[in-house]
Amino acid sequence: MISEQLANVICKELKLQSFDFQDDTTADQVPGWDSLSHINIILAIEKEFAVKFKGIEILKAKNLGDLQRLVDSKLVK
Amino acid sequence: MLKSILSFYYQMQVFMFNWIDVEKLVGLFSFEQYDPVVFGTSFFLFYFFAFLFVFRILAKTKDLKVWTIIFFSIFFYYKAAGIYFLLLVFSAIFNFYIGQWIFNSKNENFRRIIFFASIFVNLGVLVYFKYTNFLLEILTDLQVGQFNPLTIFLPIGISFYTFKAMSYVIEIYMEMLEPVKSLRNFSLFIFFFPNVLMGPIDRASEFLPQIEGDFSVSKEDIGRAVFLIIVGLIKKHVIADYIGLNFVDRVFEVPLRFTGTENLLAIYGYSIQIYCDFSGYTDMALGIALLLGFKMRKNFNFPFMANSVMNYWQRWHMSLSLWLLDYLFKPLQMGLRNMRGFGNAFAVLITFTTVGLWHGANWNFVIFGLIHSVFIIFSMLTKPLRTKFYDKVGLANSKVVNFFQIVFTFHLLMFSGVFFRAISFDSALEVFHQVFTFMKPEVFPQFLESNTFIIILIVLGYIGHFTPQKIVDKITSLITRMPVVMQALLIAVVIWIVIQVKSADIQPFIYFQF
Repeated sequence: MISEQLANVICKELKLQSFDFQDDTTADQVPGWDSLSHINIILAIEKEFAVKFKGIEILKAKNLGDLQRLVDSKLVK
Repeated sequence: MLKSILSFYYQMQVFMFNWIDVEKLVGLFSFEQYDPVVFGTSFFLFYFFAFLFVFRILAKTKDLKVWTIIFFSIFFYYKAAGIYFLLLVFSAIFNFYIGQWIFNSKNENFRRIIFFASIFVNLGVLVYFKYTNFLLEILTDLQVGQFNPLTIFLPIGISFYTFKAMSYVIEIYMEMLEPVKSLRNFSLFIFFFPNVLMGPIDRASEFLPQIEGDFSVSKEDIGRAVFLIIVGLIKKHVIADYIGLNFVDRVFEVPLRFTGTENLLAIYGYSIQIYCDFSGYTDMALGIALLLGFKMRKNFNFPFMANSVMNYWQRWHMSLSLWLLDYLFKPLQMGLRNMRGFGNAFAVLITFTTVGLWHGANWNFVIFGLIHSVFIIFSMLTKPLRTKFYDKVGLANSKVVNFFQIVFTFHLLMFSGVFFRAISFDSALEVFHQVFTFMKPEVFPQFLESNTFIIILIVLGYIGHFTPQKIVDKITSLITRMPVVMQALLIAVVIWIVIQVKSADIQPFIYFQF
């Protein structure tokens, strides 16, 4: 499950009204999410949740589900 | 009696050995520099059909089939690089054990050290063979000292298989892949003859599971393979070779000897020549792999339909650009993310300079990479403004704007292509000089008259490129439904055409040198 908070940050960054994010959604399925805007989305997520990712953690994330779990794992700590 | 049998035997032997020229026979199986077995030559067909016979009919078990591919691949690479086939063997053994080591080590720091050491070794071998002389030239230019170029043999395909092998270690390090248990299967991935010389740069995670399969091919696979081989033969040996040898090469050799019109036509000609050359080779490689039961990566997706330079790199030599995107650009971008836009720009600059250098060790390729970096960074910085503008004037998603973007992008690519093709930086400037100051459009009718076939081939090349996928699919399914005899006949006819058109020796594939 993708949390509303995560979905909202991404939509805000990409200027989307709304988007139906699923665990297996990948970046290329989301309008405007390309390799250049990617970095702004990651920065926005870090700011929103007040967390810091390691580069390799982000690179390993294959889809939205992975990203959500990564955010969750940071919040537990 | 015994004497007469012996004498007969001796005479037969003399006869046989005179008939089969022993030297030529040895030559068939030994390494001859600058004479690799190129797809589409009669030599390759001879070897390949012999191989296919053993692979499909004699090799009854899965193990035998795997070994057949491995031995044939080593032989194929040996024919191209001689003793340097040992590099391929080294790459397979080295990366196989590194992969296991990284996977099994629990200590994060230790893992990282092994990983970076392996990257250092892989790139070190590549740099030694490919860039030593360029580095010496730079050192000499910087007046650090006087260095004479060394005689270093450049093993064909080294850039391709080094990247292929590195993808395995990187994917294991990034925990996207578990190491394979069998060194034999891993060697097959590294040696695989359809992609060892010129790609596609397949990914371990996609290729290795296919070795576990039974190498079966469906009727659709065969139809598609026949289509790809035919199209590849035509693109490479009819279009690319002919316009290269008879027109483009001549103009780029001495641009000042030709008018601007001819120079401009040579630029258009070169764009389609390199596309037909490289994608033609790739088509043949994909088709050959399909006949063995392997599906390799897609490398081209209508590159000249790109509506931005960034988009072009998602369509041209995709297996290289996606490799660099995943393993160079993204990590750089992540590391530099606090610099935001500037970090992006810096990552673009490093990535595209690498793209340039990957193609060869000289300044023209560096300039080519820098030009592409500038295009992309400029486009990145102005994108918000442009989007706002198009929204305001109601032209967002306009087909007309898209069309002009495609035409504009194509011309940006042609501009950078001049630096890619020209024999030197000065020579590239000469090409532009002729185009802008010595156009002489009145020579065009005369040129057309004396070079009709060249123009026809250039136009045919572009028509082939822009043929919609729907039509391609229709032709493929038509071939799929043909009986095998018809398919064989079709290939034979195309080979006959190739032989007719081939006016000179086979041109080496442009991408071999990279």
